[in-house]
Order: sequence, then C-alpha cells, then structure tokens
Amino acid sequence: MSEARQRLRRICIAGAGQVGVIAALALRRALPDCEVVVLGLPGDPAAFADRAATALPTSNRLHDRLGVDEGLIVQKAAGSHRLVSRYFGWGEEGRSGAMPHGAQVDPKLRTRFASEWGGGERDGGKAAPGSLAEVLANAGRFAVPPGDRATPLDDIDYALRWNMQAYRDLLVGMAQQAGISYAQGQIAGLETDGAGGLAAIAVEGQGRIEAELFLDCSGPAARLLSALPGARRADWGAYLPVRRVLYGKPGQGMLALEDRFSLLPEGWLLEFAGVDGLQGSMGLGEGVAEDAALRALQAEPAEMVAVRPGAAAQAWVGNVVALGDAAATFEPLGHLNLDLAHRQLMLLLEMLPGAQIEPLERAEFNRRAALMAANVRDVLAMHYAAPRARAVFGEQPLPETLAHLLDQFTRRGRLPFREEGGLLNQEYTALLSALGFASGTTPQSLAQDPREADAARAAFEAQAQAALQFAPPYQQFMAQMLNPQPQGMAGDLQY
Amino acid sequence: MTGETQPKLRVVVLGGGTAGWMTAAGLVRMLPGLCTVALIESQDIGIVGVGEATLPHIRGFVERLGIDEAAFMKATHATYKLGIDFRDFGRVGESYIHPFGTFGEDVGGIGFHHYWLELQRQGLAAELGTYSLAVAACRANRFAPPSEDSSLGSTYGYAYQFDATLFGPFMREFGTANGVTRHEGLVTEVERDPESGDVTALILKDGRRIEGELFVDCSGFRSLLLGQELEEAWDDWTHWLPCDRAAAMPCTHRTSDIRPYTIATAMPAGWRWQIPLQHRMGNGYVFSSAHIGEDEACEAIRNSAEGDPLADPRILKFRPGRRTKSWSHNVIGVGLASGFLEPLESTSIYLAQMAITYLIELFPTDGRIDPRDRDEFNRLVDMEYDRVRDFLILHYNATTRDDSDFWNHVRTMQVPDTLADKLELWKRTGRIEKYSEGLFYDVSWMAVYLGQGLLPEAHDSRVSLPDPQRVAGAMERLQREIDAHVAAMPGHVDYLTREAARLAQAA
Repeated sequence: MSEARQRLRRICIAGAGQVGVIAALALRRALPDCEVVVLGLPGDPAAFADRAATALPTSNRLHDRLGVDEGLIVQKAAGSHRLVSRYFGWGEEGRSGAMPHGAQVDPKLRTRFASEWGGGERDGGKAAPGSLAEVLANAGRFAVPPGDRATPLDDIDYALRWNMQAYRDLLVGMAQQAGISYAQGQIAGLETDGAGGLAAIAVEGQGRIEAELFLDCSGPAARLLSALPGARRADWGAYLPVRRVLYGKPGQGMLALEDRFSLLPEGWLLEFAGVDGLQGSMGLGEGVAEDAALRALQAEPAEMVAVRPGAAAQAWVGNVVALGDAAATFEPLGHLNLDLAHRQLMLLLEMLPGAQIEPLERAEFNRRAALMAANVRDVLAMHYAAPRARAVFGEQPLPETLAHLLDQFTRRGRLPFREEGGLLNQEYTALLSALGFASGTTPQSLAQDPREADAARAAFEAQAQAALQFAPPYQQFMAQMLNPQPQGMAGDLQY
Repeated sequence: MTGETQPKLRVVVLGGGTAGWMTAAGLVRMLPGLCTVALIESQDIGIVGVGEATLPHIRGFVERLGIDEAAFMKATHATYKLGIDFRDFGRVGESYIHPFGTFGEDVGGIGFHHYWLELQRQGLAAELGTYSLAVAACRANRFAPPSEDSSLGSTYGYAYQFDATLFGPFMREFGTANGVTRHEGLVTEVERDPESGDVTALILKDGRRIEGELFVDCSGFRSLLLGQELEEAWDDWTHWLPCDRAAAMPCTHRTSDIRPYTIATAMPAGWRWQIPLQHRMGNGYVFSSAHIGEDEACEAIRNSAEGDPLADPRILKFRPGRRTKSWSHNVIGVGLASGFLEPLESTSIYLAQMAITYLIELFPTDGRIDPRDRDEFNRLVDMEYDRVRDFLILHYNATTRDDSDFWNHVRTMQVPDTLADKLELWKRTGRIEKYSEGLFYDVSWMAVYLGQGLLPEAHDSRVSLPDPQRVAGAMERLQREIDAHVAAMPGHVDYLTREAARLAQAA
C-alpha cells in the first residue's frame, strides 16, 4: 500500500532577495504546516535574479498560483506590461527586429509543418516578426484581457515589469501574513548532516537554524551549495564573453510596451522602460574602457557589476537546493534571470520531496533543472553568435546544442526540439530573426500553395485589425488600472 | 519560394506494404515540388500488413493528406479505438485499460494519481479507470469525437482499428492518383556508385532499371537495401522483448456490438489480441518461439479466439530491435526495414509515420544529402525507438506472474538502465520521468504502472493535507460527470452507422 510521504516540517531559505522571498511563499503555500524560515543575508549586487525588475510570462502563472495579484504589482510596485523586446543592430547596423512574448504570430511566417502535422511545440516552426504583440506595441495599444469573455487579445502574452524594491516589499508582506519567520545575520558556520547535505546553519550571535530542506538563494556565491563536498560548477565563461555589467541611474519614468537591446561597439545596451524610470544597463565587451562605456550608456552611471557566468552542475545536492544566481548566474540579457529562477522553483514545487529525500528524485530534478539552465546558456550564446555581435565581442565557441540548433535553423528553417526549453518555438524563431540569423527554407514551404499562405495572411490581418480596434491606448488602460472606477460602473467599462 | 527551379529529386520506394505506400503518398503529397516518387512492389511478395490497431497520430497523417475520415474508414473497414484493455498482465484475472486520454485532473500542481493513491489507502477510492472518460466510454461501448474546448469532453483522443491488408491498397490508390509511379517487379540487383557507395538504381528481374537519388527501403524485415546491400547492423532486443512470432487468425463477429478498443490478453508465452473491425474480429497470438512451438501457438489461438474462424492461423515472424542507423548513404529505412518492437501498444504504424515525418522535415532541399541531416534523422529515430522500447518492456516486467517460463523470464530479466531508473523513481516516490518528446508520456506510464499493480511505496506528501472526505467528494463528482457524459454519447456501432450514412449522402 502506498503511503503519503512524511511532509517536510522545517525549511530554511538562505537569502531574502525577491528569489528567496517568493520561494518561501511558494513553499509555505504548498506546505501550510511546515515551518519556513528565511535567513536574510547581505545582498550581492551580482545576484542578477534578485535585482531583476522583470521576468517572462511564465512568472505570471507563478504569481497566479501564489495569489500575487497583478493589479497590486501595477498599483503598488510600479508594474507595467511588456509585449516585445526589440533588438537593434545585432544582425547588421540599422536593422531591428522584435521578439514577442507568446505564440501569436503571423501564420504566413510559420512553416506549414507546425499547423499541419500536429507538431505544436515540437514543430520545425518558424516565425519571423509579424506578431500581434508587435502590431500592438507599434501602435502603443494594449489592455490585459478581462478573462470573463472572449476578446481579440486573449492569445496575447505579456511580461510584467516592476520596481524591484516595491515588488519585494509586496512579497515580504505576503510572506509575513503567511506566517513565514525571518532572521537576519551573517553565516557563522554550516553543520553538515553526514549524508552529503546540511543539518543546520549557525548564524552569528543568533544560534543555529535547523531544517530538513535548505534553499540556497544567496546569489552567485552559493553560500550553502558551494560548501558541500558534492557541489560542482559548470563554467560558461568560454561561451559568454561579458564580464562586466554597467548599470545607469534610472531616468524619467516611461510607459512603453517594449524594452530594447541595442548592439553598440562597446557592448550591448538594455533600455528598460520602467514606470519608475527608464534604466540603461550595458554588458561590456572585453577591454572596453570605462569612459567609453559611460559615454555609450548616455546616463549617469550607478554601478559596475562583475559577472562570472556559470551554473551549478547539480542545483540540488544533499538536502540543499540552489535557486536564482546560486543555481545559475549570468548577465541580464534577454530578461532570463528571474524567469529561470521561477521555473526552477516551479520544478521544485512539482517534485517537492518528503522529509526523506530520495536520490533518484534529486537526480530527476537535477536533470531537468540542468536542461533549463543549458537552454538559457544557449539563448545567451545565441546573442553573441549574431553576425554583428561577433565583431563586438569576438568569436566565441558555441555549445554543441546551440551549434546544432543554429545549423538546423539557418540551413533548414527547423528548430530541433529542446526539453525544458523555456521559450516557445515561435519565440525562438522571432529571436533568431531579430538577431539577424536568416532562416533556411523548409521543404514544406517550398511545396506550399501560395493561396494557402495568402489566406492565412489575410486572417492574420483581420486578427490584427480586431486587436487594434479592441485595445485602448496603453496609457488609457494604465490610468484605469491605477485609478479603478467605482464598483457600480465596472459593468460599463469598455476598453 | 523564390521561383528558382531545382530539378526534382527522384525518390524510389522499395516495397508496397503499409510503410511503402504511406511513404510514397506522404512524399508526393507533402513535397510535390521537391521530388518525384516511384514505388516498386511485387505481387510475388506478400505483405506483413502489421498494425491493425493504430495510435491517435495516424489521424493527423490521414488528415494532412487531405483524405476524408469517413471514406478512409469505409475503405479499410475501420472502427474507432479509444485505448487498449490489458488483461492478465500484472496478475491473472486482473485487467486495466490504457486509454488515449487522461485520468482526473492535477490539483495544485500535484498529479491526480497521488490523490488517488491517498484515497485508495483510506479505502475511499474507486477503481482508477472510473476517473477517465476514455476508459468509461470503452466500458460502455460508446463513441463520440472529443470536443475542442477544454472541457471534460476534450480529455481523450482516438485512433482506428482497421484492416491492415486494406490500408496499404487504399494508400496505393491515393498515392498513384497523386502522382506516384508504380513499378511491378522483383528487384534482382542494386547498382551503386563505386566511389560514394550510394545506391544509384535498382534493376528489376525483367531488366528494367529504376534510377533515383534517394531510396526508401520499405522491404520489410528482409531490408533489401539497408540490411542486405548496405549491411547496416541490427541491434537485437529479443532479450528484452522475447516475442518474435504471431499467429494471426481473422474471425467473424460474435455479436452485433463492436468494441471501441483493442483487447490484449496475456498468454503463457506472450499475449493475444482481439481487434474489432467493422466486418470481422482480428485475433492473434504474439508469442516467443523460444517458449512455445508454432503449432501449439496456432492451437492456442484456435481455442481462445473470439468468433468463428474465417481462415487458418497464419504465422508472422519478426525480430524486435532496430538498425543502428536508419539512414545510411542515400537509403532510408521506414517500417520494418528500419526496426520493429512488437505489436503490443500498436506502435508499428506510428514508427513508420514518425520516420516519414522526420524525412519530410529533413528532406534534401538543394538536391544533395547533407550528412548533418542524416545524423539528425538517425538521432531522432533512435530516441523514438528507445523510449517506446522501455515502455513496452514495462508491460512484461511489471508482473507477479510466475505460471510459465516465459513470465518467469520477463519478470526477472535485467531491464535497460534507463528503465531501471524510471521504475525505481516510481517505486520510491510515485513520480515519473518527464519528457515532452517521443511517444508515451507520464499518463501512459502511470496507467500501466497502476494497471499492472505496481503500486509505489510512497506518494506526494501534500495529498494528505486536504480533508479526505472533501477530496473523495470531488472525485465522486468527477465520476458522476464522466458517467453523465458517457451516457450522452452514442453507441460505437450507432456512431459508425451515422458516419457511413453521412458519407453516402455526401457522395
């Protein structure tokens, strides 16, 4: 007879950045009778997942699940919506392309294979710019679909931006309400449990924190994980050339449906359109002088942060699970840092162990978490393999899996399936195209009847028109979000 | 796309069985601008005609070729299939249905079966299949196509049970009507380029010479091109899947009712199938020749078959395994020439379709084969075969049967490491390794594990949190919804009759 496993009674989370706090909230929600203790450690500026002010659409699903209200993020944490990331100058100077969130793309730009062979996500799908998201971003129109009736915006996916401090405060408030306890201090020592994991953390001046499961959310230093004898790290330095990220001071607030990644001679520049301020940050190429970088940033410099890209070969060792930069640390290119942290957290929730951890469940978690991380590494490396990026950053070797993907895409217009891929095929295709990789021709498209494509194109046009007519100017939608109408009028609200 | 004219690649398909005609029809229909297709077949060579039962993927294939479902079903005397009823596998007297559908719903990110295991421990759960719409429909002999929304009515898929000896000819008619050139004759000689070793032409007995740039070997187990000519090695899996023969015997229907599912019943040296078609009942005993003689197997199927025999049992021979390379030089194996597992779980037509799909995806677009595409094809085919292999082995290995040498062997044999880890993870935690590529996903694994009585020792710790009476109440509601839904479905025979009438009216 199968028995429910003994539930975890005590979990300690080391690190109280937004990764640690949301992990604590998630675990407490999953195990209401489990004591969850967060140990606040001094923050590390190179904990990129902790300082990220945005993620990808998957995180909206995590928010839903944990009861983190998107409306509150907008109202209390300077939240806003991103439909596309625009890439400037990666393929060639003066050229740009957009990577939309979600799969709502112009069907003409998709191969027949996707729709016809029932391939879904595993198709050889190809989608160049020409998404509904881009149409809306160009027009500056958007509203979150109301959800209680069908609208032309239902298939649009979006990412949220926020003010990191305010967002973290929101989560902290929820964590407190949920009865999560908090301690702050320096780690004085780690007690091992004789089984490859930890028994307790000794905190300076505060005694020991015991737990059955530890989450290492301490940033790139991986304070817990790195102390275990079984911990190994995969260095991504050979594939990813950026070692310094320069952050600018936030400027004027912005309301925009897109963020921008531009390739400059000094490196890449992210212009992040926060409601609380447009913030520039740069990933610098090797040997770029600081003053040249500052000129390129065109903002007051705030901070220079060193990045040492790499990932834990096993994010879960003994009873310690690393999340965020403790599991994988890399530059904030493509908004992937917090997305990966959230997806690995969701994987942990799916595979939540009992008090007694089974080696094979750890192995299965590590297999899938490593695939997630490797896919992120490949997406980053894909940026540096873009035609002009190679001139700025120099030639890097390609991870084998990326070389395979680029070969299949550029020669054949085909994307090999990636387990735990993170991005949709349509997103991959749009990103590749925005980075200047020309898609090869698929056999199916050679055989396609042009009338079929024209019909699909016309349908897309109609969809785009309907979306444009339905969506209000984004500013108008945001004004409504920030100043909701009195209850009685809700029924009359027209976007 | 730009209007440049590339000379069409000449594809030669060798073999006019199911795989051959599926390949020819698929290529000519999907890549008309890229290739011409010739097919060589001989009336002197019989076809195996495997795969009376199929998997839901076949629907996509038929649909993409632009074939009307009802017309296709009429021509092949097809019935609908919602799953397979496995009997006596885990233990004599026990049975379960592996449906093309789900069981219950995940709640709070925790798989349904964890809740079921918990309720079962408390004596509050009904049999697992009662929480699956597809299983309930099977048991009620009812069928309706799934709905396209996300309601309960969308939680299953379906496939067909058809006369495999009619499927090939149906595809032949379709293929030739769409431009496949058919050559009747026996291949006596294979011409190869002395430098590259590529096949350049096949010479027929009467001297005709069929040239091509790409050759698809669909010659069945003989594997004339890939095996005999190119001598690609065969990876033999008999030690894991010992069944290597089938005694097939078509029978009449015993009743007017037709089941929308296949029955697989374990036998002392293998298992037997009962596949209901519109006009007859397919019966057959899949057995291990190391454990039972052919005569004895024929006798066994005569004694156990459902319905009156329409013919004497016919022996089919096969070998479970696959070629180490399914694409070598300019020769691609599709169907039995490339590999075969065994008829359990009806994967053979899927495996042919899968190879055709990848061939279309990786088809040479500039007139020459790129070795990277060949490698990619082989990687994908290997992955598919290996994952299916482990799933099939599970059906034999997860048993308590000790009533014959055959079951003693499969129960105690050493399974592949990949499977051993899956089994151990299941036993310790009730979890299933997750993949999104390949054929059988976690629901299928769960159905077989639990169906064959392989209960884990432990399940998710969180399912003991909610009040068990509340969970039991929710599960009872689900059962009632399923029952009501099934009660509103037409009977399988009624639905078949209705579709036939629709077809007649359209014509």
